[in-house]
Order: sequence, then C-alpha cells, then structure tokens
Amino acid sequence: MTQILPSHTEMNSIKIENYTAVFGESFTLNNINWTLEPNQHWVITGANGSGKSALSAILAGAGERISGSISGLPKHIEIISFEAQAELIERELKKDDADIMDVISEGTPVREILEEGKAIYPEFDSALLDQLVAMFKLEPMLDRSFRKLSTGETRKIMLIRALANNPDLIILDEPFDGLDAASMQLLQDLLKSKIDAMAMVLVLNRFDEIPDFITHIAYTDQGKLQHSVDINNKQAYDDLYQLLHLKTTELSVPATDLSDRPPALNPNDPLVRLTNIKVAYGDATIIDGLDWTIEPGQHWQLSGPNGSGKTCLLNLITGDHPQCYTNNIFVFGMQRGNGETIWQIKQYIGYVSTALQWEYRVSISLRNVILSGFHDSIGVYTKSTDKQKAVADQWLALLGMKDRANEPYNQLSFGDQRLLLIARAMVKHPTLLILDEPCLGLDDINRQLVLALIEKICTSGDTTVLYVNHHAEDQISGISQFKQLEKLDAQSS
Amino acid sequence: MSNNYFNTLPLREQLAQLAKCRFMSMDEFSDGVEALKGKKIVVIGCGAQGLNQGLNLRDSGLDVSYTLRAAAIAEKRQSWKNATENGFVVGTYQELIPTADVVLNLTPDKQHTPVVNEIMPLMKKGACLSYSHGFNIVEEGMKIREDLTVIMVAPKCPGSEVRAEYVRGFGVPTLIAVHEDNDPKGEGLALAKAYAVGTGGHKAGVLMSSFIAEVKSDLMGEQTILCGMLQTGSLLCFDKMVEEGIDPGYASKLIQYGWETITEALKYGGVTNMLDRLSNPAKIKAFDLAEELKEIMRPLYNKHQDDIIDGTFSRVMMEDWANDDKNLLGWRAETAETAFEKTPAGDVEISEQEFFDNGILMVAMVKAGVELAFETMTAAGIIAESAYYESLHETPLIANTIARKKLYEMNATISDTAEYGCYLYNHACLPLLADFMKGIKTDVIGKGLDTTDTGVDNARLIEVNAALRSHPVEAIGAVLRGHMADMKKIV
Repeated sequence: MTQILPSHTEMNSIKIENYTAVFGESFTLNNINWTLEPNQHWVITGANGSGKSALSAILAGAGERISGSISGLPKHIEIISFEAQAELIERELKKDDADIMDVISEGTPVREILEEGKAIYPEFDSALLDQLVAMFKLEPMLDRSFRKLSTGETRKIMLIRALANNPDLIILDEPFDGLDAASMQLLQDLLKSKIDAMAMVLVLNRFDEIPDFITHIAYTDQGKLQHSVDINNKQAYDDLYQLLHLKTTELSVPATDLSDRPPALNPNDPLVRLTNIKVAYGDATIIDGLDWTIEPGQHWQLSGPNGSGKTCLLNLITGDHPQCYTNNIFVFGMQRGNGETIWQIKQYIGYVSTALQWEYRVSISLRNVILSGFHDSIGVYTKSTDKQKAVADQWLALLGMKDRANEPYNQLSFGDQRLLLIARAMVKHPTLLILDEPCLGLDDINRQLVLALIEKICTSGDTTVLYVNHHAEDQISGISQFKQLEKLDAQSS
Repeated sequence: MSNNYFNTLPLREQLAQLAKCRFMSMDEFSDGVEALKGKKIVVIGCGAQGLNQGLNLRDSGLDVSYTLRAAAIAEKRQSWKNATENGFVVGTYQELIPTADVVLNLTPDKQHTPVVNEIMPLMKKGACLSYSHGFNIVEEGMKIREDLTVIMVAPKCPGSEVRAEYVRGFGVPTLIAVHEDNDPKGEGLALAKAYAVGTGGHKAGVLMSSFIAEVKSDLMGEQTILCGMLQTGSLLCFDKMVEEGIDPGYASKLIQYGWETITEALKYGGVTNMLDRLSNPAKIKAFDLAEELKEIMRPLYNKHQDDIIDGTFSRVMMEDWANDDKNLLGWRAETAETAFEKTPAGDVEISEQEFFDNGILMVAMVKAGVELAFETMTAAGIIAESAYYESLHETPLIANTIARKKLYEMNATISDTAEYGCYLYNHACLPLLADFMKGIKTDVIGKGLDTTDTGVDNARLIEVNAALRSHPVEAIGAVLRGHMADMKKIV
C-alpha cells in the first residue's frame, strides 16, 4: 500500500479564464488567462501602471469582476501590498477614531497584530512567528503601537504576520522595497525555506530581485497579461529581461555623431515624391500609376496584401530596386537618374526589413553591427570615430545588451538581431526611417520591444518614420498617415 | 588565323609584362569615378558579369546602357530580359556603340574576335574599349584601332558576388591593366581605376597588372589547381572510397562538400591553417602524401604552364572552337557520366571537422595543387601576387561551386577556357595518379586515421610545420590576406 504523505495543503491549479475586472474608475485588467499550477512560484513584473499589482490582487479578490472566472483558489490566501498595508493602517486609525473616550489611544501593539491570525487560522505557526521575530530582531518593538512604526517596519511586521499565518498562497507585492540588503537576503532565504509549504506570487519591479526559487514569470502590459515565461527558458527569460529594461528605463534615443551628417535638405521639399510609378516584370505589372509624397515629419504607415508591391515601393525609394531609374522619383533633393549614387541616397535613410536581416549574414560584433548604420553597409569597412563608437555603446545599453558588445552578431537570436538592426537603422538619426514589417517573425516579447522602440523614435525629433505592416495589433501611436496598396490583377499586358 | 601577341614580344618585354603586378593603395582611388562621370558607358553582353557590373556602375552614378545583337533583342532572349527588367536602355551595336565613350566587352572569350571586329569600326574616335579578360588581346593577337584606349578591369569573383558585395558597401578584389600599345591619350589607368571604383573593387583591393600576366596566370590557375585538380581529385577519391566499401552516398557527400570546407580553412589562413586543422599524425600524413603528389604531378604542371606560355594551349583550344566545340562538349558529357556525378550526396551528417579528419587525401591534393601551381607560375616569371590570386585565392570559389552543383555544372559555369583546360588536365592527371592511388586506403580518404594513438615524433612534426610555414605561397599570402583583412573586417 502506498502511503501518501500528508501535504500542507491540497493545492489545485488556479485557473483564471477570460477574466476582466475594473479597479476604481480608470484601470481595467483585460481578458486575463492565467493558470498557476501547484508547486509553481511566480513573479509578476511589468512597467509601472501595467497592472502587475492588480493581477496579483485579483487572486485575493480585489477588483470588480466584469466577466470571466477564477477557479481553484485555495482557502487561505495572504496578500502583502501597499494597498493591504494602507488598509491595515487605515483600520488602526479607525480604531483610534472609534475610541470615544477622551484618552490618547496607543493603538494596537505590534504583538497583537502579529498574533491576530492565531484565533482565525488553525494552521497558524507560533513557532515560526517566534523564529521570525528573533530573526528580524523585532523583540524591542513588540509592545509598541503598530501605528507608530515607520513604513518599512510596518511592512516587515506584515510580512512576518502573513508568513506566520501559514497560508496556502502568499502574495507579496514588492516585498523587498525599502528593505536593506541584509533584510532582503534574510527574507529571500526565509521565503525559500517555505516554498514547499505555500505557493508564492511575488510582484517585482526589478529583475535582479527575482529569488532563485521562482519558477515562472508573468509580464503585464497595459492591463493585460502579455507573457508567461518558464524561468528555465533562457531565451524567453533574456528577452523578457530586455523588454522590462526597455519599459522601465527612461527611454531616450541616443544622440548621434553630428560631425558626419549628410548635406542639409531644403525644408520645403518633400522627402520623397513618387510620380506615376510603374513597375513590371515581363508582362506582370506590380505597381501601376502610383503617386505618393512624403513630407518631412509626416509619419506614414503603408499596408497592403502580399504581392501588392510594398517592398518593391520601398526599394524604389531606397534605390535598391533597379527600376528606380525608369521612374519619376525625387528623393532627398535628387531627381533619380542624374548621376547621383545610391550611397548619396542611403545616407538619408535608415532601413530595416526581414530581407535585410537575411542579407546581414556577417560574423561581426554587436557593436560593429550598430556602427555599420553610420556607413549604410552590411559589415564595417570604414573606420568609425570615437564618437560613433560611444553612440553605438549607448544603443547597446538601451537594448540591454551593454555587456555583450563584442559577442558575434550571427549567434544572436532572431529577435535580438532584429533589435540590433533597428538600432543600426536609427543610429545616425536618419532623415527617413523605413521599417518594413519590423515585427515579422518576432515572438510576442520581441514585438512589444520593437513597437516600444519605434514609438520612442516617432516622437523623438527629426526622423520621419515609414512603417510597413499588416497586423492591426501592431499599430504605432504617432503615425497618422496611411497608404494602402492593392494587389493588381497580375497578368495585365 | 590569329597571331599570338605574347609571342611577338622580345623575351625582355615578355618577362617584364609577366612580372607586372602591384597591390594598389587605397589613396590611389581618391578621384573616385570622376574619370567616367558623364561619359556614356555601353556594355556588350548581359550575362552575370555584364549585368552585375552594370548595376554597380549605374548605382555609382554612371551612365550605363547595354548593346546586344539584333537577334537577341528581336527574340527577347535572356540577356535582353536581364537588361530591360533592370531598367536599362538596350540597343543594337549600330544604335549604341557610336555614342559610347567607353565600351565594356563582357561577352565570353570565344565571342571576342567576332564581337570586337564588329564593333571596332562603329566606335567613336578616341573612345575606350575595356575587357575583363586579356585572352583576345594576348592569345588571339587582336589588334585594336590606334586611337582607342584599351584597358582591362577583372573582378576576381563571379558576377553575382560582384553585385552582392557592392550592395553591402564593399566590393571584390579586382585586377586592372592598361594595354600599353593602346593608350594614346595616357588616360587608360585613370579610366581603369574609375571603373574599379564604380564596381566597388577598390574597397576590396586592386591589383595593377598587365594583360599578359593576367592571361598567363589566369589560364594556369584555372586549369590546374582550381578546376583540374578538384575534378581529378573528386573522381579518384570517390572511386577509391567505393572500391574500399564505403557507402557511396557518404563518399559523394564527403567530396562534394569537403572541398568547400577544407578550402574555407585555406582562405582564412593559407595552406598552413588548412593542415593545422588536422591532428598531428594526420597532418604529417597529409604532408607526406602532398610531397609524393607534387613529385608525380610536377611535370604535368610544367607542361600546362609551358603550353600556356608558348600559346600551344590557346591554339589547340581555338581549333576546337573552330570545330564547334566537339571536344569540349564531348568531355562535358563524359563528366556527367562519372560515378561521382551520378551518386547523390547521402543523407548523412558530416561535421565540419570530419571533412578534414576523413579527407586527409583531399587536403593533400589541395596543398600539392596550390603549391605546384604557385611554384610553376613564379618559375615562369609570373610575380608572386598574381600567382597567389590565381591559385590559392580562387580555389575556395571553385570549391564552393562544386558544393552547390558538383562537377558537371561547375564546368558549365566556369569560362570556356577554364573548362577546356580542366578537361585536359583531368585526362592527363587521372592515369598519372593511377599507381599512387593503388597505395591509398580508407585511413586517408573516407574513414580517417585510427586515432587510438595521436603521438608523433617531435623532430618530424617540427620539420613538417617549418616546411609548411616557409613555403613562398604562405609568405605572400600572409601579406595579401593582411591587406584584405584591413579592408574587409567581415572576413
């Protein structure tokens, strides 16, 4: 006969399905689907205001449910958050108010607060409480009024209380905030010692605070659970790290090397003027009679089905399409076909596309990939200035790749390569930044990252963005002009 | 019949021309494309070289159009499509040649004589005629009108690569030359340099050579080490492995992709690096085999060089041209029937290192071929720089073609002169190595050495390493690869 060892609790999977809830008037958690299996310990992370605290709090019943369901919640859940802390303090204040006797209330002593659970929870662990009090050296304050503690001390008391209550699930929202290094280490060790006794969900802002017992990371953005990552998935973890880095850093596009700028353009000229464009291969006409003008500062989105000639059109602008010489094309002050070189045109353009990524098959360092953007080349064949190198390093830092500057580019993940190529396109602050489906082939995490970068770029100044995509969800705020191409009936002769 | 130009020169001049080759410095190209700016460039032929060079020149701001035979235009042949779909003006010789300041003759060697005879009377007085190969001038003795400037600009890579490297912002190594008998205005060098800049070649390194040095070294390299040795080696190694019971699919794959893998090591670090990829016992084995091969094959290399220098090779080949390529096409068909060609590469995994470990004989063949070709060329008066480019430097390019297309297509892809010479070499070399091959077992081709003991004699290893590193092709290779690495950080 097999003996089943008694476990502390019968933890089931917690299933949150299609759950939407509102918090106050302005915040909504949207359509959350999230499953927490027994023995998993989660960190929820995301930028400020992304909904990470709200997500943790719905486990404890917070928010007003609009739709969806939560099932499998364990009986005893403890949550420690700023909100919970505020609530407790509020309660203590009310106690004070409620005391109508004309005496100065000392409020509830810390000891009482700590032992509140004893009468409520059969699983309350007195021994653990004593141990924790000793560990955090709290004996001297046991008899003091809880109300009079500092924020940090209050926080510690609440943590200890929650742990001593010995719940099935403990939710800790920024538990390490305001703790000194020693206390933080203490707490981490403590939590680690309890991982078999209770499920844990931690809300953390900083990746480097993630304790080593965590098994999964949830990432929230704009009220949605965007990513759930198994911590053993190194690649996904690294991507998430970069994404969080990007979202939580005050993003600014690094300055460029002003000593190497192309000749200034007449501000009254359009950047691009295409007139009655026609492109055909043999009898197949791809584009027929297209006109398009891009004025400086006008961000455009170009869409159209496969085969409608989007890439072809871009290549006419960049000079990479040979039929640019047989069309009426005015770019950056030059009417094509009058002795200009493609390098004169490319100096005004930053360009990213999947085709470029395919063509960018060189084993050079990450730094050199970014530097190649100054020279419009694939690979580096020209000496870069110190200033250019410094700018490249700023971009690497921005991408969270600072420590990887000398790693070989061709060994990077697809998404990291794409990020670098976007930095390469931006590094010289091009007059026109052409992004041809920059998110194509990227996983969710990297897509978020790329979109975040492009938004920053759109609002950053002198660069006009031309963005090609056909995914409705990849809209970029800041783009107000739309050009739609239609597929021609191919065989018109 | 034509007169061999080289043979009309006095020995002193022959030697002087053969010895011409200088690696040019980047600042010699500071004028960019200026010498060609505003000039009308008309390209004859729109194959891979013609089209891709034209695309580069146009993207460098130059005025490029294409002239084709009237029939090619009327029938909308591939060359016509290439040019028109890329937005170039296309016209007949009569329409475009009289307007041209510079005519680029990028047709196959075989067509040079009729093409040049047809266009020469149409050319403007004082215009420039450019070749990418000196065969027509040197071997066929084509006389160009005295008022015309004659230059050569020869990118040392296939046309597709000429374009791909340009688009990256780089270029391919390029050889330029001025035909001194035809430089009436003394502008030949300026035009050739501007042309090299227009194709991006200056960024990857330009060799200033002569028509003669180009032809005599190019012919030698292509028919011996580049195509001939790899063809003969493929056939011998394959048959040996199958005879020894190795799975034919494995044998086919080891050879088809093996040349590319081992010559990749050659490209990066010369013969030394290629052999350094082997274990010590295997290295000594490869060295010994190569020594043996060199001894057996040296007379063959000498004969090829002699026939090239005195014009015998081109005379015999041109006789076949006159005979509708009977030999060439017959030999090409024979190649298609070889066991190696007919056995597809097996679906087996071969690691990069395994190509070395199990291909010791192939490494030995490449070493022997490169060194022999280099030694023979330099002994004939060709300067080391030329000899290096025409032997070691280009071997990986042909190996790459074999990896993609095996022998039949490799032969169909390379120039007619290379293909013809390749068959001559192969026919002579196969019987020459028959005895040698009898002693070959799978330890040097197919299975690798029994590696239970990798011990070697110190003195012997030192001797072998010293011999490898002190070969003259390694000395010049280090210098030229150094130039390349300075410029081409991506290598």
